Amino acid sequence: MSSSGATHKSGWFSDLYQKRGLSGPAAVILFLGFLLVPLLPGKFPIIVGTEVLIVGLFALSFNLIYGYMGQISFGHGAFFGLGAYATALLFRYFQMTAGGIGYFGFFLSLILALPLAALGSWVVGFFCVRLTGIYFAMLSLGFGELLFYLVFSWYSFTKGDDGIQGLLPPPFFQDATYYYYFTLAVVVLSTLLLWRITESPFGYTLRMLRDNRNRAAFLGINVRRVMLTNFVIAGTFAGVAGALWGPFQRSVSPHILGWAESGKAVFMTLIGGAYYLAGPMVGSIIYTALNAYVTRFTVFWPLTIGIIILVFVIFIPGGLLSVIDQRIRFRLSAGKVEEIRKGEPVSPPGGGA
Amino acid sequence: MPDLGSLLIQLFSGLSRAMMLFLLSSGLSLIFGVMNILNFAHATLWLLAAYLTYTFFQIFSGLWGSEALVLVNSIVMATGIMFLLGMAIERFLVRRMYPRELPEQLLLTFALILIFSDTIKLFWGVENRRIVLPIEPMEVMGSFVNPYFFVIIAAGCGIALGLRFFLQRTRYGKIVRAAVFSRDMVSALGIRIPAVYAGVFGLGVGLAALTAGIFLPIMPLSLGIDMDLIVQCFAVVVIGGFGSIGGTFIASLIVGIVYSYSILFWPDGALAIIFLILVGVLIWRPWGLLGTEMRY
Repeated sequence: MSSSGATHKSGWFSDLYQKRGLSGPAAVILFLGFLLVPLLPGKFPIIVGTEVLIVGLFALSFNLIYGYMGQISFGHGAFFGLGAYATALLFRYFQMTAGGIGYFGFFLSLILALPLAALGSWVVGFFCVRLTGIYFAMLSLGFGELLFYLVFSWYSFTKGDDGIQGLLPPPFFQDATYYYYFTLAVVVLSTLLLWRITESPFGYTLRMLRDNRNRAAFLGINVRRVMLTNFVIAGTFAGVAGALWGPFQRSVSPHILGWAESGKAVFMTLIGGAYYLAGPMVGSIIYTALNAYVTRFTVFWPLTIGIIILVFVIFIPGGLLSVIDQRIRFRLSAGKVEEIRKGEPVSPPGGGA
Repeated sequence: MPDLGSLLIQLFSGLSRAMMLFLLSSGLSLIFGVMNILNFAHATLWLLAAYLTYTFFQIFSGLWGSEALVLVNSIVMATGIMFLLGMAIERFLVRRMYPRELPEQLLLTFALILIFSDTIKLFWGVENRRIVLPIEPMEVMGSFVNPYFFVIIAAGCGIALGLRFFLQRTRYGKIVRAAVFSRDMVSALGIRIPAVYAGVFGLGVGLAALTAGIFLPIMPLSLGIDMDLIVQCFAVVVIGGFGSIGGTFIASLIVGIVYSYSILFWPDGALAIIFLILVGVLIWRPWGLLGTEMRY
């Protein structure tokens, strides 16, 4: 690296920051943090950590529609639920035919959740992408509630309100720590894929749709097709998160398809920061971890999270990461101001000389 | 096949349900039309008002006995309080959200759901509440109908007409309608827009409170019934068309009656049918039955 006076602001953090924005270093810190969670005493942090990861992946997939495409979906929980129910029903099938679930059956029922979630999101997306704004939100809400009540009322197939119980994974994954690392691996892989997608030309097309749909259309972009593709990708990743949910909870229940569940993805994203890839995961940590620990002290958890959301919405509209981003930018530029005062040349970002 | 009497009962219960949906959705639609805020917490405020009315009724019926007049008194007091609460919510919370984007506005009202539903749990606990009025069932074609259904249907139609009169004929109603079209113009005419906003929000919440009070004698109160109701109100507003009171009225009749008849034939799937209608209308006419294409 450079030997000039600017090196004191250099280092892996600011290098990565300057190259990738805040999400780069944030992802590294989050990943290291998640790796170390099982070192904490007791089983509780591992279970909370697994939930943070699964719900975080769900929120990440939601943010593909919200942060990148600029539409708000209140039916995203439906695809999470589709994935979860597909896995759960296949689980039951393998358990009934083979007497127990082997590793093959376990992985097969996880993987088969993906095409189902993709198919579901294609059907819903086909209609939703014709609309924007509040109508997009309402149609996705309508489809989500429709699926919720179908699952709720189709007792012979989905066990309705009782949910599907007894989803015991094979012996290796019954250990909370191993299942945690398995979840971490899947979530990291999915996040890398999502990162590739959002940094590809396709990802930048999405940002253009968010900022100005008409201009994108004039440039010859097939707006609906791009939106539909993105909707299906988002729905599929929600399905991945859903598939992980059943074996983790050992059961699935229809409430995961409801609009309140989709709403959680919305506020996790906004708390963390919608314009950062890592934002929804940060939001999931705040929400899920707070939920797990606050409910130990008080039954009035909704009141607590309600007030937290209120404070965030009113005072920190860009989410937590945007505040951190501003602080870092301020400190990095403050360093440069000092150098200019000392009469030293300011090195360009990334060093030099 | 159910007999004629039970079909008739379902009709009355469907009509009264339609009245509830209409009174709630028209407040929702009014707030959205004037301020572009979709109030997720509308049904939660409705539930809060119902609990308030319940408490007033308990207090006053202890003094004067369970009379209809005591209920009216409680409804008026609860509605007044909720009107003021609505104005306060607009003044201190919603007002900060006007320059923001839609998801943030939704998130604020979503936070209000969590706060108010937990407040209800804090003050009234988790057990179900209901009030009992001395009402004799009435015989209609061999089945017994609660005559209170007629009170509800009459009150609902009365309030709907009153709302229409207010919006069409009075000075303040005209200001509200003008504000839907052009806030800037209304403001330029020297009318204080912030006061109009607070008033409209208070009016919407007040309507919800009134509805809650009227329905209290036939509706057992329990936590969480607001969550199902709010999405049905959204369904009504969307099916009828945003900002169209007439469309909202028709949509509530459709949703209320379809719901009460599908309960006869497929009890668990009744709400699935409502959302099937919602999805169908949004695909066919995204601006709703009577909405104008302009707002789409």
